[in-house]
Amino acid sequence: MEFLIISTLNGVTYGLLLFMVSAGLTLIFGMMGVLNFAHASFYMLGAYIAYTVATTINFWLGLLVAPILVGLLGIFVERNLLRRVHAYGHAHELLLTFGLAFIFEELIKLFYGDFPVNYSMPDYLRFPAFTIFGTDYPFYRVFIGLVAVGMFVFLYLLLSHTRAGLVVRAAERLPVMAESLGHNVPLVFMGVFGTGAAFAGLAGAVAGAFFPTNPNMAIELGVIVFVVVVVGGLGSLEGSLAASLLIGLFSSFAVGLDWSLAGLLSWVGLGDWARSVGGLFTLTLSSISGTVPFLLMLIVLLVRPAGLMGERN
Amino acid sequence: MKGKTIGLVLGAAVAFGLPAGAAQAEALKIGIIESLSGPQTSTGRLFAAAAKFVVDEINKNGGFNGAPIEVIEYDNAGGTTGAADKFKQAVADGVHIVLQGASSAIAGQITEDVRKHNIRNPGKEVMFINLGAEALELTGDKCHFYHFRFTTTAPMRVNALVNAMKKAGELGTRVYSINQNYSWGRDMEEATKAAAKVGGYEVVATVLHEVNKIQDFSPYVAKIKEANPDTVVTGNWSNDLLLLMKAAGDAGLKVRFATTFLDQVGNIANAGNTALGHYVAHPYNIEADNSDFPEAYKAATGHYPVYIEPQTVNAVRTLGQALKTVDFGGGDIKVSEIAKALEKASLDTPMGKITVRAEDHQAVIPVVVSKVIENPKYPVDGTKYGFGVVEIIPGPDAIYPVQEACKMERPA
Amino acid sequence: MLARIALIAGLLIVLIAVPPFLGIGWQNALTNMLIASLFAMAFNLLVGQAGLLSFGHAAFFGVGAFATLHLMGAIEDRIIAFPTPLLPLAGAVAGILVGAFAGYFATMRSGVYFALVTLAIAELFHSLAPHWDGLFGGEAGLSSMRMPWAGLTFGSPLQVYYLALGWTVVSIFLLWAYTRTAFGRLTLALRDNEQRVRFMGYNAHTTKVIIFSISAMFSGIAGALLAVSNETANYSLFSTHVSAQVVLHTFVGGSTVFFGPAIGASIFTLFAFYISEVTRTWLLYQGLIFVLVMLYAPQGIGGLVQTHIQHWSKISWPELGRAYAVAAAVAVCLTSALVFVVESFAIIFSPEYAAVRGRLDGAWPPFKLFGLEWEVFSPFTWIIPLGLLAVGLLLLPTARRMLRETWNHILERAEAARIAKSEIQLAGAVES
Repeated sequence: MEFLIISTLNGVTYGLLLFMVSAGLTLIFGMMGVLNFAHASFYMLGAYIAYTVATTINFWLGLLVAPILVGLLGIFVERNLLRRVHAYGHAHELLLTFGLAFIFEELIKLFYGDFPVNYSMPDYLRFPAFTIFGTDYPFYRVFIGLVAVGMFVFLYLLLSHTRAGLVVRAAERLPVMAESLGHNVPLVFMGVFGTGAAFAGLAGAVAGAFFPTNPNMAIELGVIVFVVVVVGGLGSLEGSLAASLLIGLFSSFAVGLDWSLAGLLSWVGLGDWARSVGGLFTLTLSSISGTVPFLLMLIVLLVRPAGLMGERN
Repeated sequence: MKGKTIGLVLGAAVAFGLPAGAAQAEALKIGIIESLSGPQTSTGRLFAAAAKFVVDEINKNGGFNGAPIEVIEYDNAGGTTGAADKFKQAVADGVHIVLQGASSAIAGQITEDVRKHNIRNPGKEVMFINLGAEALELTGDKCHFYHFRFTTTAPMRVNALVNAMKKAGELGTRVYSINQNYSWGRDMEEATKAAAKVGGYEVVATVLHEVNKIQDFSPYVAKIKEANPDTVVTGNWSNDLLLLMKAAGDAGLKVRFATTFLDQVGNIANAGNTALGHYVAHPYNIEADNSDFPEAYKAATGHYPVYIEPQTVNAVRTLGQALKTVDFGGGDIKVSEIAKALEKASLDTPMGKITVRAEDHQAVIPVVVSKVIENPKYPVDGTKYGFGVVEIIPGPDAIYPVQEACKMERPA
Repeated sequence: MLARIALIAGLLIVLIAVPPFLGIGWQNALTNMLIASLFAMAFNLLVGQAGLLSFGHAAFFGVGAFATLHLMGAIEDRIIAFPTPLLPLAGAVAGILVGAFAGYFATMRSGVYFALVTLAIAELFHSLAPHWDGLFGGEAGLSSMRMPWAGLTFGSPLQVYYLALGWTVVSIFLLWAYTRTAFGRLTLALRDNEQRVRFMGYNAHTTKVIIFSISAMFSGIAGALLAVSNETANYSLFSTHVSAQVVLHTFVGGSTVFFGPAIGASIFTLFAFYISEVTRTWLLYQGLIFVLVMLYAPQGIGGLVQTHIQHWSKISWPELGRAYAVAAAVAVCLTSALVFVVESFAIIFSPEYAAVRGRLDGAWPPFKLFGLEWEVFSPFTWIIPLGLLAVGLLLLPTARRMLRETWNHILERAEAARIAKSEIQLAGAVES
């Protein structure tokens, strides 16, 4: 019971973190058809900028400055780089963002070194939010969750209840039509890209204080974020939230489950044979918990590429 | 390239410095094939710096074979393919002895490459001194005459921890084993299970998790909590150790950690006071060193010797002892003679005596068990914490038995 | 046409005759160059010709390597006898089988989804392989030794090089022959308009699976050559880094030109071999080159070369020479400025420099670069890159104008010649 509750809490907070990063990515893809390989790099840059500001001036200022600077970088990337290769097709845009991800990682290594930096929250934030079954639950995890929920509410209200959101949704559906109605669609694209980047930067700034901040964090998180975005449905904010929670919960629970194919086969009496064969049969779910999200992504891509809540294309 | 330039300059200096008519002395060439870029960079550079410290020492005292020892650095980029490429480059450059330590996978690659090279090129053998790769198989089924391991292994560290903690009354009767799912982690798990009888404890659960992929250890901490152990034994390093301890600290888990790599640079800075009271087994603790080595090392490199640097210094110093016993008279260097000499070499260090076991070329080194305390003589990572010595276990007591899988073929 | 054959023949002669005179290090670098080139050419079959962008080609490269190592192990343990030079066949077989299986599922989707499926497949291999001891040797991987055959020991890097050269030349020839067949034409058609291909009666999915398998087969051969050269393989061959490298090589070389990927792979492999010992920031340069090519030369280096060859007779060499001289000057200035700044920062922000600063209580000692010493906060240090940057930027508009004008002239002349030719043909048709 204790394991269930703790794992659920952990899964939800980890899932909300994934959502913070994937929200921007799914919006950008839905709108521009560009799968931004550099999105996780924005996450990493946010963490490093926040680290620099936090260690020189103030932690909270870092949380404020990081998303702004990363958002501006996003706008720069969209306007000056992506737009230039737009004419060559989606593959080229994809490759450009891929090259950018490469460059960002190397730049971080140049300035900060190839090892983790000590970015952590100030000591007064390091207290338990509540105690459950004798285990303390750190406040900062709850804080991350709250920021993520706040972000979701903000985005949702922005898209559904404001005029700007209306224009964004129109531009996503029918960009040419929206432009002929007089809206500045390139500006909208730029804004969406910048906002997506800013949110990834915010996620990095907030989460980097809790999780390790190192040059590999873009790759580590990046691949999982792709899984989330695909499973949730490319372009769907709600789908992204659902998929993040799903994967977060799964990662959390899988750790405690020592199921294996051999265990399954022992129900039909073939357990000992399976164990003697070894290899694939004795792999436990807990030891391959990092692999299963990819399997999930593969299944979703093959069976229902629209994902949980995306639109059929 | 810088090392190459130094080597060339030194070589040229030697060539022009000798009086005309004297035979050309063959300089000993040491190749450091390390992770100088990539995620293991910080550790790789420590190995290189420590090795060069001792080579400078030897060169100040006249070098070897009538010439200064040349050191060439190669960056294997943290991968086995890079290591294979750089080994071929090292052979092309005439390297006699290869040094490496930052990864067991890379050490596995290099030791196999060395073995195959020696089979194909009799008379032009190359030697491999393993400074820090602790996978048992390197002195097990991958052992061969030209490989020497100068670091501990999982059984050495676990047995030391168990004995010292039991004596101090801090081991308890319920032990939880959590490790990374690869050869090192599996070695640690086996060693923890094997020591249960002597340690008088029950292994309540064993966990193997993915290496360096897990961002969030709180589910694992929840599992540990459920099992209610007294001590958690883990061989985790880098993020895997740090995140595990942080998650345990955040959850308020009251358990003792018995680790092998707690002294890795940056861990104490990141963990802060959550690290207090936890144990580590390592080959060296500066608190027990009253010689002039710490200050001499600081003068040369700018910091006190940490983490894997002291074991590297000891390894290369032992090589220096072996070199003193061979004499090629300024002529061609025969690596087989150096290897035979290294088998018989020994070194006295502040922690104890170091010798080499001829059956599998495992160095018999003392193991120190330490505990994180406040305000030691040598605080680490710029914090107020450091490692207090609990017990120093001499080499012969710490060593593990020769593995059956090692069938070493000796040269004629 | 004749010129092209002469060029290729000349290159082959150099590749055969020169290596015995080079050191072992260079021979190994050339072997790696051949492997990377073959891998990139195989990849381009899928990307450039069929228009299917795959981000997980490392899967087939790795599978080829592992299959070959199993065969090598079997030969070493005397379970079977098999000629060593034919070892890469194991890689080919493994590549085609796994490629067919993976390709069947991957080609059910297109565009970004296809790319994601290939990424997922490679990641699956990458995360499963370290746990699967039997097939992939766990995280240490598999290791074996090349056995002698027919009097050759295959112990020296030179013999391995010739083996790799042989297989690479044969494979690239087969790939070229493929483009000459009807099926090769169909591949291009698939890229240009899949719907029309379907309406012509072909089963697009089956066609794609076949193309995918062929591409995977040659990737498997490349992986096999790596296994033969290094005599080991481990799960890191499945990593995204390997998939990323082949993408970089192909597009910098140019995916629209047949030899483009080989050019890109060769340049980057040799660049890496040479530069990686000098500086640790070479990956950054690689990324920058890739992004610049993507932005300004989307056809890649191969495409640029192709354009020159195409309009060879229309080029006014003095005019082009002048334009290129100015452009080269700009490139040299901007590149030097960038390299100076990047290398300086690499030193200033490195842990070694921080350690030196720590010893001097926070002072900023001068650093060594290009054989000279530079003060960190002195204007004399930074005036150099700034000056180079200024000169480069000042000349940039001139260079762009000259290049644009020169190429406009060339294209005008080409167009005029084409019109003249068609007028002659028309006149001839009318007369007859």
